[in-house]
Amino acid sequence: MRHPTDGTLRRLIDEPAGVADTDRAHVADCPRCLSGVAAAEADASFAGAALDVAFATDADAGWLRLLAADGRGPATAPTPARPASDGRGPATAPTPARPASDGRGPATAPTAARRWRAALSRPVVAVAGVAVLLTGATAAAAGDWLQIFRTEQIAPVTAPEADLITMPELEAFGDLVPVEPLEIHAVADAAAASQATGLAVPVVRELPKGVTGPPSYQVGGRASALFTFSAAKTAQTAAAAGVTLPSPPPGLDGSQFRLVAGPGLVATWSQGRPVPAMIVARAVAPAAYSSSGVPFATARDYLLPVLPDNVAAQLRGFSGDGTTLPLFTSVEHMTISSSDVGGHPATVLRSRDSTMSAVVWLDDGIVTAVAGSLSPGEVLDVARGLGSR
Amino acid sequence: MTAVRADLEEVFRGAYPRVVGVAARVLGSRDEAEDVAQEVFLTFGRSAVPAGEALRWLSVAAAHTALNHLRSGRRRVSREEAARDHGAVAPDVADAVVVLDERRRVRAALARLPRRQAMALVLRHSGLSYAEVAAALDLSPGSVGTTVRRAESALREELTRHAPSD
Repeated sequence: MRHPTDGTLRRLIDEPAGVADTDRAHVADCPRCLSGVAAAEADASFAGAALDVAFATDADAGWLRLLAADGRGPATAPTPARPASDGRGPATAPTPARPASDGRGPATAPTAARRWRAALSRPVVAVAGVAVLLTGATAAAAGDWLQIFRTEQIAPVTAPEADLITMPELEAFGDLVPVEPLEIHAVADAAAASQATGLAVPVVRELPKGVTGPPSYQVGGRASALFTFSAAKTAQTAAAAGVTLPSPPPGLDGSQFRLVAGPGLVATWSQGRPVPAMIVARAVAPAAYSSSGVPFATARDYLLPVLPDNVAAQLRGFSGDGTTLPLFTSVEHMTISSSDVGGHPATVLRSRDSTMSAVVWLDDGIVTAVAGSLSPGEVLDVARGLGSR
Repeated sequence: MTAVRADLEEVFRGAYPRVVGVAARVLGSRDEAEDVAQEVFLTFGRSAVPAGEALRWLSVAAAHTALNHLRSGRRRVSREEAARDHGAVAPDVADAVVVLDERRRVRAALARLPRRQAMALVLRHSGLSYAEVAAALDLSPGSVGTTVRRAESALREELTRHAPSD
């Protein structure tokens, strides 16, 4: 039969009951349509995240404002011209000034923004999990947990954002169970941050122009997760990407990996502004451990075809000893260059709109970053001048 | 002066979060969304829209009004304003590095969509059913899916292509 339209596939996601039985039956057995549903679902999720703004609303305050605007309440604001009704809703009439005492605080509902940001940055983060596995290529003996990946250097992997967004997450290859969930909380000062994390807190000796005041500190404990590889899930992910994988190498299906990162801390200079002027972050770099002794070069080569070609090619070029952490970066938004901080190779990122720079480097398994609304030269100056307490 | 309908407060309290939410999806700003909601309720208060259709009417009016705001260029959101709702500091470096003026880009992308697609997208993601979106836009329920699908695809394309420079 004829394939259902894209619109029908889209409706299957929201209102399957609204789709004819014949269409549903067709889709269930049609790889092309199933792929279409998956694509529609991905776009729908992306749009949902982009549009999601779960603000907390205050109906009481809103009602008082409406009364005032309508001339029926306290005269806190001028009455607006009455909006014309053109059948498409009110026109854009001027609105009254907002009463000053409406109890509104700044940035009250970051949740939605976080989700939307997550839609963009999730690949950056989640893919790191995949990459930790895929770049961990040292071999393994059977038996106990064996460290197969330890971060000794950071290398950028650049790709179009569209490719990064289509990168599968770790869950696409198996089951990921948080063992020690990431928990972040504020602490009073640098001493408390150091005590909470066991890390030397970076001290900025000279603040760049425009950055003032003492920083605030947040810390997070060690986070870890247990990942169990699933050949069935991987096959599904591969099929959705239009790739047919051979049978997995012996021992890979069901094998377990423990992923560990942190603890970490971040110092923030925001001076009460919504966007921080600068942050300095430090954390114990990620590591991965295997319980099964699967040969990782084999596992990596098995999974790489599922990733976008240009990303796979860059990962394939990493050294096989499982020490390089890829820093995923979208070519549209960031430019990358190399530098050094205290004799360690450093990666410098600069947003293409010149609003933001960052430098990231690794020293003895500890990753440190300086970022902010600064120039690359400024973040490097801060990075190179850091002391510690 | 037209009399204000007696059920306005009841409708307002029930529908206010939804109406602000619809406008906020377009505008990405709570302040602007509340201004739009106020305009919409002022008009509704003097209308004869049946109470049973109030929520749908208000949602559609909020989407139209918010899109009008976008297209009239009534208020250009500065970078800092756009980023304001990002809230607390991103806890990880990746987040910090991905400080983008996302809201501005969403607004710009919505402004470039054909009006019908933008409406269908916003209304659907605000929780209206296919039948409600169809009624609001004078579409058949069958073509709502197509319109929403095209809008989502276009939105993603807009947001993932090279960010427009300031």
